[in-house]
Amino acid sequence: MRRLLTSLSLGFAVALIPASLLAFSLNAKKAPESAEDLMMIQEALQAALPKAKAATIGIDLGDGSGSGVIVSKDGLVMTAAHVSGGVGKDVEVVMPDGSKLKAETLGLMAETDAALIQITEENPDGGDFPFVEVNKTDEAKLGDWIFSLGHSGGFDKERGVVVRLARLVRMANTTIQTDGTLIGGDSGGPLFDMDGRLIGIHSRVGQRLPVNMHVPVRVFLDSWDKMLKSEFVGEGPFAKQEKKGSGFLGVATKGVEGGLEITKVGKKTPAEEAGLKEGDLLHTFNGEKLETRDGMKALLAEMAAGDKLALEITRDGKDETIELKLGKR
Amino acid sequence: MEKMKRSNSSLGSAEFLTRLLAALLCFGTAFSQQSLETDFRTTGARVVAVFEPQRQVIQQSSAVIYQGRKEIAYGVVVSADGYILTKASEVEEVSNIVVRVDKKLFKDAKVVVTDANWDVALLKVDATELVPVIYASDSKLDQGTWVVVNGVTSRTRRRVLGGVISAKAREIPAAGGPALGVQLKTDEDRLEVQAVSEGSGAEEAGMKEGDVITSVEGKKVKEIKALVELLKEKKAGDVVKVSLKRDGKKIELDVKLSAKGELFANKSRNDQMSGDYSKRRSGFPRVIQHDILGASETMGGPVIDLEGRVVGMNIARANRAETFAIPVEELKNLAEGMVAQARK
Repeated sequence: MRRLLTSLSLGFAVALIPASLLAFSLNAKKAPESAEDLMMIQEALQAALPKAKAATIGIDLGDGSGSGVIVSKDGLVMTAAHVSGGVGKDVEVVMPDGSKLKAETLGLMAETDAALIQITEENPDGGDFPFVEVNKTDEAKLGDWIFSLGHSGGFDKERGVVVRLARLVRMANTTIQTDGTLIGGDSGGPLFDMDGRLIGIHSRVGQRLPVNMHVPVRVFLDSWDKMLKSEFVGEGPFAKQEKKGSGFLGVATKGVEGGLEITKVGKKTPAEEAGLKEGDLLHTFNGEKLETRDGMKALLAEMAAGDKLALEITRDGKDETIELKLGKR
Repeated sequence: MEKMKRSNSSLGSAEFLTRLLAALLCFGTAFSQQSLETDFRTTGARVVAVFEPQRQVIQQSSAVIYQGRKEIAYGVVVSADGYILTKASEVEEVSNIVVRVDKKLFKDAKVVVTDANWDVALLKVDATELVPVIYASDSKLDQGTWVVVNGVTSRTRRRVLGGVISAKAREIPAAGGPALGVQLKTDEDRLEVQAVSEGSGAEEAGMKEGDVITSVEGKKVKEIKALVELLKEKKAGDVVKVSLKRDGKKIELDVKLSAKGELFANKSRNDQMSGDYSKRRSGFPRVIQHDILGASETMGGPVIDLEGRVVGMNIARANRAETFAIPVEELKNLAEGMVAQARK
């Protein structure tokens, strides 16, 4: 009889409570005690999945891949600093249907592994990007059921985004630990409460399978404005700032009347990719007048890999401005 | 966690690992007060206790396969008279297979039929009153649906672990196509073996450096291109007859083809963090996927739903985060076909 009552009242509870309280109610017990309890977890997970999956994107970095999650209708993405890897970098995000969109890395927190990325192209479907709600209440507690999403091992359209259901097992200022296994490619992907609200971003793993670490949303919120302003905060271990002098353009020049003339463009260099050609006459370097080779060298020495560069040039009698990002020396 | 395939990044792997370890060490001490008791973790005793009805099914119908005393796989009991399915690549080459079902131990279990395509072996033990699994009508389970598998086991008691269907059902193509697992000299007009890959079928069959391959499946081969063409028609797991010359003598070997991508030399960063994954984890016509922790020796057992019905059979621990299972539709066909063949 007692068992029957329990199950009845639970069924009742699921039907009446608003969705936002579902997580609270299924986390009320320290461990599930019945099939009804299990079904409550399953139903919450399956109710939250469609929206959560739609916003979980892959991030293609050329030399690797990670995950991220869209948190605004205009395409702001939360991810890990060791995925974004720097500020102002061009990356591609992979939408769940496999379409790729251009994006730019904004700021990051190098010590805690938090980063933002902005999708810079329109949503091909038109309209708003799918996005998830960020749980700003910081109320997640030990033992809460949670789920992780991510593109484990890289984006795979046939497989889709991979879900892992688990519990929150440790908490500290800048880290949440869960026992849902993560692997390379999941980095930067979202950790959700059972209402489908974002509570963390996947960061790293321990040797043992159940040891998986996430950056709590709070860390992001504390430095949100800095990251929006594309600041590189802190130094390592999750991202390292490029040092001055590490920037690479890839041209040889000689001084001529009115500037520097390109005598050679290196193969597969930022200069070649930006379309610079032998014979182009360079006038200015980010607005600074170019007069001698040493002058340009000094200007380059103040810049780092990934920095933006605008060059005013003359080609075949026509004036042009070429914009590019410096490569790594 | 490092991104996959990140090679020439500013944050090199070794450096990253060192820093990670440092981070982990701080972590361990800072957290001691703020940690969930082991019993209440996802795999903890107090949580898995809720799966007691499913555990009873596993207790009766999930076999434990041993090589001597060492657990090497689990199995699915498919008939009362002792037919049990398991993962073929975990039991092949094992001469002394011992099987436990419930509390009973069966010695001298024999592999009676194998299916290389699915990497499934049918075992026979001398029994009369086993309780075969009950098949679910299909494996069309939504992502996020609970499933239960055999976890740790003792002599008398099977324990279970619960998790959810974690991705779409799909084919897992063979990683890199079939290969003998040898490197051949390219500057000769004959197929001389330069090196034999560790863990490959060629190594198992006893191929050696200096061997000259003369024919495969009875067809003469003199150049790599012809060999590749011949192997194209085969699948990883197939066994081919290889004729070769060693020290002037003619030798014939049965070589099991490996999937190129599964030869040991190709261990990726993700593999390094995956612990004990299955030797064969690709080349399956269709799988369902779940998120339950396990190791290679926990493959071969049934995956059941909350009703206790079999929805699949664990077939590969693919990596740290992904486990594949043969869907029940295909599993049922396999079981019926293989048992019928064995009874002939």
